[in-house]
Amino acid sequence: MRSPVLPLTWHLTRASGRRGVQSHLLAAGAAAVGAFVMLVMIAATVGAGVRADRTAWRTPEPARNGTAVQALATTYVRGEPLTVVSLAQLPDRAATPAPPGLGTFPKKGEVYVSPALAELLHKLPAGQLAGRFPKPAPHASYGTIGEAGLASPDELVAVVGRAASDPAMSETAATGASYFDQDQAARAVVAGFSGTKQSLFTYGDQAAALLGVVLLAMPVVVLSSAAGRLGAARREQRLAALRLAGATPRQILGMTALEAAAVGATGALTGALAYVAALPALAEVPYGIGGWYPGQLWVGAEWFAGVVLAVTALITVSAVSTLRQVVSSPLGVAQQANPRRTRMIRLVLFLAALAYIWRSTGGGQLKGRDYVVLLLMFYGAFWLVGPWVVDRLGRIAARCARRPATLLAARRLSDDPRGAWRTVSGLVLAGFAAGFFSVSMLGTDGSQYRDQVAVITANAADARHAAAEARTLLDRANVNAEISVVPEDDYDSLLGGSRGIVAQISGGQARLDTAVTALASVGSGHPPYTQDYATAGDRSIVDRIADVSTATLALSFVVATASAGLTAAANVLDRRRVYGLLRLAGTPLRVLDRARVRETVLPLVVLAGGTVATGVYGSYKFNHAFGASLNVSGALELAVCVLVGALAMFAAISGSRPLLRKVTADPAQAPD
Amino acid sequence: MTNPVLAGLGLVKKYGSTVALDGVDVSVGARDSLAIMGPSGSGKSTLLHSLAGIVRPDSGTVLLRGEAIDKLSEERLSALRRKRFGFVFQFGQLLPELPAEENVALPLMLEGVPRRQAVERARRWFAPLDLDGLEHRRPGQLSGGQAQRVAIARALAVEPDVVFADEPTGALDQTTSTEVVRLLTSVTREQGAALVMVTHDADVAAHCDRVLQVRDGRISNYTQFTVA
Repeated sequence: MRSPVLPLTWHLTRASGRRGVQSHLLAAGAAAVGAFVMLVMIAATVGAGVRADRTAWRTPEPARNGTAVQALATTYVRGEPLTVVSLAQLPDRAATPAPPGLGTFPKKGEVYVSPALAELLHKLPAGQLAGRFPKPAPHASYGTIGEAGLASPDELVAVVGRAASDPAMSETAATGASYFDQDQAARAVVAGFSGTKQSLFTYGDQAAALLGVVLLAMPVVVLSSAAGRLGAARREQRLAALRLAGATPRQILGMTALEAAAVGATGALTGALAYVAALPALAEVPYGIGGWYPGQLWVGAEWFAGVVLAVTALITVSAVSTLRQVVSSPLGVAQQANPRRTRMIRLVLFLAALAYIWRSTGGGQLKGRDYVVLLLMFYGAFWLVGPWVVDRLGRIAARCARRPATLLAARRLSDDPRGAWRTVSGLVLAGFAAGFFSVSMLGTDGSQYRDQVAVITANAADARHAAAEARTLLDRANVNAEISVVPEDDYDSLLGGSRGIVAQISGGQARLDTAVTALASVGSGHPPYTQDYATAGDRSIVDRIADVSTATLALSFVVATASAGLTAAANVLDRRRVYGLLRLAGTPLRVLDRARVRETVLPLVVLAGGTVATGVYGSYKFNHAFGASLNVSGALELAVCVLVGALAMFAAISGSRPLLRKVTADPAQAPD
Repeated sequence: MTNPVLAGLGLVKKYGSTVALDGVDVSVGARDSLAIMGPSGSGKSTLLHSLAGIVRPDSGTVLLRGEAIDKLSEERLSALRRKRFGFVFQFGQLLPELPAEENVALPLMLEGVPRRQAVERARRWFAPLDLDGLEHRRPGQLSGGQAQRVAIARALAVEPDVVFADEPTGALDQTTSTEVVRLLTSVTREQGAALVMVTHDADVAAHCDRVLQVRDGRISNYTQFTVA
C-alpha cells in the first residue's frame, strides 16, 4: 500500500492557512540567513587561503643555478604596508621568467605598481611616496601589476627593476639587517617565482577567519534549530491531534521531517543564492590587506552544497526532536504540562569543565588537537550552564519585578530558559572574544617609537655620516627632525640593536612619510622604517584576530537579530489566542509588547553584555600587566558594533509589533 | 431588577450583509445574572461583545451605570474593560508561564497595585473558589475546572461592575461544568457584580436569574427564573 505520509503532509501544509504560510516563511527566512552567514565565513576562510597563496611569489626561493636576484622589502605609507619586490637579472645568465602579474621580467629602472599604489602615487606628493622609487623615463609611466600578482585590489605592491649591484639588492640591505626584518625582508638568487612562503600580512588571515567560522557555527546551528522550532506549538497541536486519531509515531515523524526539510532546503538554497548574488558586494569588505577579487570568495560547489544540506539537516533534526514528546506522550504536550526546568548539575559540570581546562592548559605540553578538544569543551561548558543562568536570572528578575511586563518576561525566561539562551548564546560566546581582542594592543602599540624613522647603516662611522646626510635631506624636504646616532647595543630603540640613526619627526603622518621618502637613499640600502615596521609581526596576528572577533560579533548580531526577530514573530503566532483574550480583557498592548522585548533584552544585557565586559576587563588587566595601552579605535568599533547590534535586535523584536497588533486587533469578527 | 448596571438599547450590528444584531434591548442589574443562549451564528457573542465594549454597535447605545460607553475612545474602552469588567472565556485565557496567583494578580498590577499587595489580594479568591493550595501551580498543571476557577478569580479580582463569560463551561465535562457555573454565579452575586454569560448549555443557563434566547440577531424568548 502506498504511504499516506507524503500526500497527507502536502494536504496539511496547504491547509495550514495564512498563519501556516507565515510560519513556513519565517523558518525559510531563518534558514536563508544561516546559510548566508555560514557561506560568507567559509568564503572568507577559503578566500584568505587563496589570497595568501597569491603573495608567495614575492618571497624569493633560492635556486642553485639562479638567473636573477630578488629582494623583498617592506615600507609603509600612511601606516599601510607597501611591499617592494626588487628584481635584477644577473648578467650572462638565462632570461628569468616574468613574475606573476607582469608580462615581462622588469628591466633596470622599470617600476610596476599595483592599481591601488598607482592611485596613491597620483594622490600623494612625490616627496611622500614616489621618491622612494626610481623615476620613470621621460614620457613614460609606471607599469601595472596584474591580478595574478596581487592578493587584493587594495594591496600596495611595487616591482622594481634594478641592477644587481644596486645597494637595495645587497645581502646586508635585505636580510638580517634589522631585528624586525623577519618576514618583511628577504633576498636570494632565484630562477623563477615558485616561492611558497606567504606574506606576513596574509599568512594568518585564514586561521583567524577559521576562528570566526568556529565562533559562528554555533549561532548558525542555533538559528537553524530555532527555524526548526518555529510554529512548534501549531505543529504540536496538529500532530498531537493526529496521534490521538491513530497516526503512528513513524508517520508523524515522517510528516514533520518532510515538511521541515522542504522549508529548510528552500530557505537554505535562497540564502546560498543570495551569497552568490552578494559576491561583488562582499568583495568590497576589507579584511587585512583590503578588499577581495570576487573570484577569491567563491567557496566551490562542494562547500555550497554542503552548507545547504547541513542547514536543511539541522532544521529537520530540530523539528523532529521537538516532536519526541508528542510521539511519546500526546496528551502531555497538548496540555503543555511540563515546565522546562534546569538543574544545578549544569553548574557543577560547567565548573568541572572549567577546572579541567584550567588544569590542562597549565602544563604547556598541548598539541593542536588538544586545543581543539579543549575549545569544544569550553563551548560545551557554556552551552550547559547558559540555560541554567537564564533560568536563575528569570527567577531573580521575577522576584524583583514590580511591573507586569517585567514579571511576564521574567516568568517566560524561567519557563523556557533553553529557548532564551539559544537566542543570545552566539553573542555570549562571540562577545568574550570580541571584547578581549578588539581592545588589546598587546605587543602592537609600539608607542615608544611613535613619529620615529630608523635608518640602518653598515657601521658606526657610516652612522655619523648618515646623520649628517639625513639632516641635509630632511631640511631640504622641510621636515623638522631631531636626529640621533644610536649605538649598536641599544636594543630598546627602534633599530632593535642594529647600528644606525633614528630621526624623531614632528608634524604628523604626512611628515613622517616625507621623511621616509627623503631618507630612502641613506644608509646601507635597507629602506628606512617606522614603528609600523617594528610592530608588523605582532599586529598581523592580533589585528587579524581583532578584525575577525569584531566581524564575528557583528555577524553574530545578524544571526541573533534574525533568531530574535523570527522567534518573536513565531511566539506571537503561537500565542495569538492568549494575547487576543488578554487584549480583549483590557490588557494594554504595550504591556504585552514590553514583555516580549524584555524577554530577550534581559538575557542579552546580562549575559552577552556581561561576557563582552568580562572580555574587555580581562584584556585591560592583561595589557596593563604588560605595560601596553588599550586600542581606543578597537574599543570604539566594539562599542558601535554592540550598540548597533543591540538596536538591530530591538528593532527585529519590535518588527513583530504590527503582527501582535493584527492578531489581537479584532477578536470578534464572527457574527455569532 | 433595580437600576440596571449595564444596558444595551436598540443595538444593531452588521458584518457585511449579515445582520448580527437587529435592534436588541437588554439590561442587567447588580447581583443580577443573565444568560444569553441561541444557535451558532444567532448573534449571542456579538451581543456580549457589544455590551462589553469589544465591538461598537452600528447603532444603538450601551450604558454603564447610565454613561454611554460605545462612543468612548479605544484607549478608554480598553481601560474600562480592565477596571470595571471581568472576563471568563472558554479556555486559553491564562498565561501559561505565570503561576495561578500571578495570573489572578495581573489585572491588579496592570492597574498599578504594587505586586505584593496584588498577589495578597489575589490569594483571597482562592479559598472561596476551592483553589486552596493551587496558588503556585501553572495553568498547564491545573485541570480544566481548576483553570476556569482561576479565570473566574482573575475576572473578579478587580471587583468589576460586570462579569462577562463567553461559554465558560464549553470545554468542561458536565459535573465540572455545574460546579464552575455554580461558583461563578454565586461568587459574582456575593461581590455585587452583574453577570452576563453566553452559553449553549441550558443546564448552565438555568443557574442564571434570566435567560435571553437570541435568534437571527433578535431576542426570540425571555425567561425570568425565581431566585430561590
